[in-house]
Amino acid sequence: MIEEPYRWVEAIANRREYIETQLAAGSPIAAVGYRDGILFVTLGRVRQKIFEIYDRIAMGAIGHPGDIERLRMAAIELASTEGFTRSAADVSLRRLAHYSLSPVMKSAFEQVYGAPFLARLLFAEIGSSPKEDLFLRIDYDGAIAADGLTGQPRQRFAVLGGTRQSAELMEKFLQKEHVTDAELPDAINVAFDAWSIGRMAIGENASKELPERDAIRKHRDEQLTNAGIEAAVLERGSKSGIRYRTLADEELRSSLQR
Amino acid sequence: MDKPPLALDPNFSGASEDFPAILRRKSLLQSAPEPTAAAGNRTFIPTESTTILAFKFAGGVLVAGDRRATAGNTVVYDRADKVLEIDRHSIMAIAGVPATAWEMARVLEHSFQYFRRTQLQEMSVDGKVRALSKLLRDNFGFVMQGVGVVVPIFATYDGNSKPEARLYFYDAMGAQFEVTDYAATGSGSPAVRGILYYENNWGDKKLQELNEDEAIAIALRSLDTAAEADTSTGGVDRSGKIFPLIKTVSRDGITTLPEEKIAGVFRQKVA
Repeated sequence: MIEEPYRWVEAIANRREYIETQLAAGSPIAAVGYRDGILFVTLGRVRQKIFEIYDRIAMGAIGHPGDIERLRMAAIELASTEGFTRSAADVSLRRLAHYSLSPVMKSAFEQVYGAPFLARLLFAEIGSSPKEDLFLRIDYDGAIAADGLTGQPRQRFAVLGGTRQSAELMEKFLQKEHVTDAELPDAINVAFDAWSIGRMAIGENASKELPERDAIRKHRDEQLTNAGIEAAVLERGSKSGIRYRTLADEELRSSLQR
Repeated sequence: MDKPPLALDPNFSGASEDFPAILRRKSLLQSAPEPTAAAGNRTFIPTESTTILAFKFAGGVLVAGDRRATAGNTVVYDRADKVLEIDRHSIMAIAGVPATAWEMARVLEHSFQYFRRTQLQEMSVDGKVRALSKLLRDNFGFVMQGVGVVVPIFATYDGNSKPEARLYFYDAMGAQFEVTDYAATGSGSPAVRGILYYENNWGDKKLQELNEDEAIAIALRSLDTAAEADTSTGGVDRSGKIFPLIKTVSRDGITTLPEEKIAGVFRQKVA
């Protein structure tokens, strides 16, 4: 039946709807540029969502843990072999996403008899100057959205949300509040507020507009009592070649403004 | 259907392969030929023309190596780095064929990082020690052909169960030996082992009680002594001001001692 073209389109549409439903509850992730690098923030209860891929590349993901793990492993393997045969400077996120991950995710999504990847990925690559930073999102169907590949004005942040609305509200907030040369504690606060907004935009009683500041703070304090903050940075000035560093929960909590 | 060149392996599992295995699967790492009986009949002359040493002192482990690289009777390079950082807490010092040794260090460095990134935890010290052992074992076919012998020292700081500095030396087949106080390999090592044994037993202090300056002095004197009789060891080139490379490993990580510091100790206590 799938041989008929319109059936195939229908099957793809169904599959899209199914995947969107599966991803909808995912806890958002915010990645923001700050004075000394790039910060990833999310809040989680059950499993790790921010990962080190290579010296200058980090990844955040929502979706099914099995699928995330396969994509993560593949990304690490590709980056590591590239870095080994050439050099760390030759490992490029652009190539990793466009040449390796996107085509595989697209083809898994479109082969309707096979299983698609239930995953939405957010990558950041830190350059030697903020101008060279790259933010890049790959969706379950292989679609890529990037900040830093075209000549357009840079935002220097990127978000990942379970739903379109969640992501859009986070972006709207960051467009207003994000400061590119903020200190780390300020960046943590902004990123965490963005996370709260993304979180408030999913599930029952989802907010459709940007919530008031008090409501954001209230929501964030409630969430903090029963979940751990997860955050990592890519530090431009790191002494070793490895730029990735996980931030400890205490370091994060002490940065949060009451 | 042809697979794209970098296609994901659908059966991929991070647990099933270590990094060298991935490199071999992708033909990025050469496998050594099996050691054959014919090769076994040849007389095996190990050539490890260099001197490297390491000992535990009050501040952790000190690892030092001279800078000379030789080919037969010729000095080809006088600024070789034989003390290599593998990760934040591990140093591999190499005696033997540089091409193989540097490649091995590179594989090792990437293996540790690959493990940390995929398994989301640091590889244990035992795992790291074993990884180097495996590389040496895999290389043994080349050794028996008379090319590619490597005899390294591995120094690291174990931050886990019982925080302490750990020091190992290896033979060319990959056997690892953990030492309590000191290790030295390379052609100049007999002299160095004599000095370190003497200092540890009858010196003013045991090696493990030395402070940094005293440890540097012992390391420089040892390398200078080795160079006195061994043409393959550079020692300290006084005219060219080329000093040995000295690194220390402690709880806080690896420190490369600046040349001015080494020069200062050299003027005071060695020259």
